[in-house]
Amino acid sequence: MYDFIIIGAGVIGSSVARELSKYQAKTLCLEKENDVANVQSLANSAIIHAGHNPEPGSLKAILSIRGNLLYDDWEKDLHIPLLRTGAFVVAHNKEEESKLEDILETSRKNKVPNYEILSGDQARKIEPNLAKSITKVLSLPSTKVTYPWEVAFACMENAIDNGVEFQKNKLVTNISVIDGGFEIEVNHKEKYRTKNVINAAGVDSSNLGAFIEEPPFQIKPRKGEYFVLDKRVEGFMKHVIYPLPSDKGKGVLITPQVHGNILLGPSSEYIDDLHKAKTTDEGLAYIKKHSTALAENIPFHMIIRSFAGIRSTSTYDDFYIKESSENKGFYYLGGIESPGLTAAPAIGPYLVNEVIKVKNNYHPKADFNPYRSQRLEFHRLPWQEKKKLLDEDPLYGRIICKCEKITEKEIIDAIHGPLGSHSIKGIKKRVRAGAGLCQGGYCEEKIMKIIARELDISPLDLEYDDLKSKLFKEETKVKK
Amino acid sequence: MMKDVIVIGGGAGGLAAAIEIHQAGKDVLLIEREEFLGGILNQCIHNGFGLEVFKEEYTGPEYANQFIDVFLQEKIDYLLDTTVIGLKKEGHIFTVETSNESQGIEFYQTQTVVVSTGSYERTRGQISIPGDRPYGVITAGSAQRYLNTDGLLVGKKVFILGSGDIGLIMARRMKLEGAEVLGVAEIMPHSNGLNRNIVQCLNDFDIPLYLSHTVTEIIADDHQRLSKIKVSKVDESFRVIKGSEKVFEVDTLLLSIGLIPDVTILDDLGVEIDKRTKSVKVNQAYETNIEGLFVCGNALQVHDLVDNVTLESKRAGQAVVRYLNKDKVKENHTLSLNPGTNLAYITPQRLDMGLEQENISLSFRSRKKMEKAVCKIYQNSQLIFEKKLFFVLPAEMETIQLPFKTIQDQGDLKVELEVKS
Ligand SMILES: Cc1cc2nc3c(=O)[nH]c(=O)nc-3n(C[C@H](O)[C@H](O)[C@H](O)COP(=O)(O)OP(=O)(O)OC[C@H]3O[C@@H](n4cnc5c(N)ncnc54)[C@H](O)[C@@H]3O)c2cc1C
Ligand SMILES: Cc1cc2nc3c(=O)[nH]c(=O)nc-3n(C[C@H](O)[C@H](O)[C@H](O)COP(=O)(O)OP(=O)(O)OC[C@H]3O[C@@H](n4cnc5c(N)ncnc54)[C@H](O)[C@@H]3O)c2cc1C
Repeated sequence: MYDFIIIGAGVIGSSVARELSKYQAKTLCLEKENDVANVQSLANSAIIHAGHNPEPGSLKAILSIRGNLLYDDWEKDLHIPLLRTGAFVVAHNKEEESKLEDILETSRKNKVPNYEILSGDQARKIEPNLAKSITKVLSLPSTKVTYPWEVAFACMENAIDNGVEFQKNKLVTNISVIDGGFEIEVNHKEKYRTKNVINAAGVDSSNLGAFIEEPPFQIKPRKGEYFVLDKRVEGFMKHVIYPLPSDKGKGVLITPQVHGNILLGPSSEYIDDLHKAKTTDEGLAYIKKHSTALAENIPFHMIIRSFAGIRSTSTYDDFYIKESSENKGFYYLGGIESPGLTAAPAIGPYLVNEVIKVKNNYHPKADFNPYRSQRLEFHRLPWQEKKKLLDEDPLYGRIICKCEKITEKEIIDAIHGPLGSHSIKGIKKRVRAGAGLCQGGYCEEKIMKIIARELDISPLDLEYDDLKSKLFKEETKVKK
Repeated sequence: MMKDVIVIGGGAGGLAAAIEIHQAGKDVLLIEREEFLGGILNQCIHNGFGLEVFKEEYTGPEYANQFIDVFLQEKIDYLLDTTVIGLKKEGHIFTVETSNESQGIEFYQTQTVVVSTGSYERTRGQISIPGDRPYGVITAGSAQRYLNTDGLLVGKKVFILGSGDIGLIMARRMKLEGAEVLGVAEIMPHSNGLNRNIVQCLNDFDIPLYLSHTVTEIIADDHQRLSKIKVSKVDESFRVIKGSEKVFEVDTLLLSIGLIPDVTILDDLGVEIDKRTKSVKVNQAYETNIEGLFVCGNALQVHDLVDNVTLESKRAGQAVVRYLNKDKVKENHTLSLNPGTNLAYITPQRLDMGLEQENISLSFRSRKKMEKAVCKIYQNSQLIFEKKLFFVLPAEMETIQLPFKTIQDQGDLKVELEVKS
């Protein structure tokens, strides 16, 4: 019998897993996908918001302000990449300027640090590509950007290192209440028993609750689409640029990313299907139209990709982080839409310490190791370190992804690492091979061969992502 | 280590340039990131290469071997499995940073660099096809490599977007391997491939070509594999015509939507870019605005025929030799060569009046199909040269020779395609 089973390994499930790994409890995390961070935590803006938006006093406000600060610790302990961009919320006219005052007021109440108002011209001195029509700007220096799936990798690797079990490709298909806990059915066959369930299933969280009770909220999935600009646009915009929020959320943003790319988006559209994150002509046109109000001469010709993510917006208008009132030991992490990534470092501790109060029943681990070793990005290292590594392993000399300059050794490490992946998409998420200008046109074939070689399997058994997403249909000739 | 010339890229372009330079007695090093020479030709196992240069029809690898043999006989220095990861210039000296397994990171110095790094394929992301993001949407060249080099078939029910040559050739190739090829959609009202490929790869196999059509949605199954595509007709301004939608059940969509010159290694040098070719600007010696830096082959402009890559790269090689021999006669001043409205682009983009030569090769593509076309070159509003071309197509690059003596010393040139009245 497990003490805790966490369902879902997005940034939230992973943050909870790490926090629980501090205690002498038997914890398992089940994830239906073939990797952590494959749903909402994969497709978002990657912003650690300053906390200028949420209603003062709400959990969204409290946990995002805390989370923003905790990222500085996570950067040191877990080696999570951060880009300290700061942000500008922009106004174009008197009417918008007065709305900017409201946000200023919210920022004051939420204790956002060091915010200030700048004139359009002052802001353009700092960001020359800002739209000429912008008249006033709220500057939020504490806004940062991270690499969302690295957040989940880091937490889960650290949790595993501290004794948490993690199993992927495990779809929870039923939950039943049993004596002293719950029985969880996986993939319609295997069963696991646990005293407590932590439901961190994102858009599926209300459906999971429905296995045992009337869920306290419903998810109203809201899709956001994006364009990705190639990293060669680095420097076009150094701050995150927000328009004024509307009833459609935070609006279309310009967001610099940690590896130099820029995201344009998201759009915002309520949809019926929880899982259909498709892009549309309308959505993409909406982004183009609205982003041009933020900047001059956006390099649209540098678009290398578009994608969409689905927000787990709920009928409860705050994060829903509570124990079920009917079934003790069943905990909801529901409606964790934006600023969920921002709040992630605070949500784990909040649930574990303030909601579950794990301390009351479990002893802390004396040998808890808070550190996770850094994922090495060879091409960014100083020359001396490169030299040293090359002496240790010549495969650091073999460039596989030429757009992002990723070496064979980094790919091998991503295959065999603590949270290793055997899929093309998993490798891309870990080391960015295939994430550049040619989108894997050149390196995918090489990566495929490396995976097959490292695992000693046929290329016919290789996956793109999910276990059934095979790359090839058949072999055409007998090989020597 | 100091070299006269470093050639980056060992495809048709790099080989031809290196041979030309070496035969003039210069010290050359060629660097290639793959484990073999020949570049993209290695995966083009169909024939149709060499009609112009050899008056014979070779397959891609056979064509490459003609040059690899000479290259090896010449005993030219080369590195395989070595990627150039950086290129810098200080004073008159270039430093080429390379990375490979045997030596790690090395720096080579040279006075002259020839960049012949080929092209990469345009992807789904660049044209923003909406829909899901499953596996099975693959560039035609990648599928060709999987098939011809690795013996792996990416799909059994295939549709092709874009009627570029690679797509057409892959339509036939997949069909011969037993895949069902449901059709080729082309957004333009005309094909972008060579006519012979339309006949031999589509018509001969009853594969339908949908002109003025494009893919408007990509649909995945539950396991992130492509399951369906929607194809719609477009009007003259490429707007989708509502109600014209057809659905095809496929597991693979091959994209043959264009090649883009790969000059990313020049990013740090501040080379002047031509938005039309998506590559760098050169003069008639294939030299960029950075002295001693030459670019040729698909890295300069996308060629349909390898023969043209060879001829261009030979000229580039000869120009490098002249540069090293300091054959420049007069003080440097340049005129610019501008494409008129009916031209998609022109190379070279500049003429260096200090470089005396008999003829200047101009390469360009038309924007539209034109019958009885005449290429007219104007300088200072005067017609200085004209040449009848009869029939021009966007899919076929044209090359003409402009006699140097017809050019006046001052005044930019404009190249136009007009219909003969
Ligand atoms: C378009 C968009 C933009 C955003 N931008 C930002 C931003 O800039 N800043 C910010 O702070 N936040 C942002 N967010 C919000 C942020 O992404 C989310 O709050 C966060 O990723 C939520 O993480 P999660 O772990 O709850 O969800 P998820 O990452 O979706 O994780 C839930 C996991 O549960 C698994 N699961 C579901 N059902 C089952 C089952 N039956 N069995 C097993 N496993 C199951 C899923 O596979 C999934 O991996 C954005 C969200 C979206 C969609
Ligand atoms: C799929 C396809 C089908 C074709 N079919 C025909 C046909 O039927 N008939 C015909 O006549 N022509 C055809 N062509 C056109 C012709 O073959 C090509 O245009 C020609 O081979 C290109 O030669 P290249 O040297 O410019 O480029 P490539 O052959 O691409 O060579 C570039 C070389 O540079 C290397 N390189 C790139 N970057 C680096 C770096 N940083 N460091 C080291 N090395 C690097 C690459 O590995 C590559 O080997 C076809 C082209 C393609 C792509």
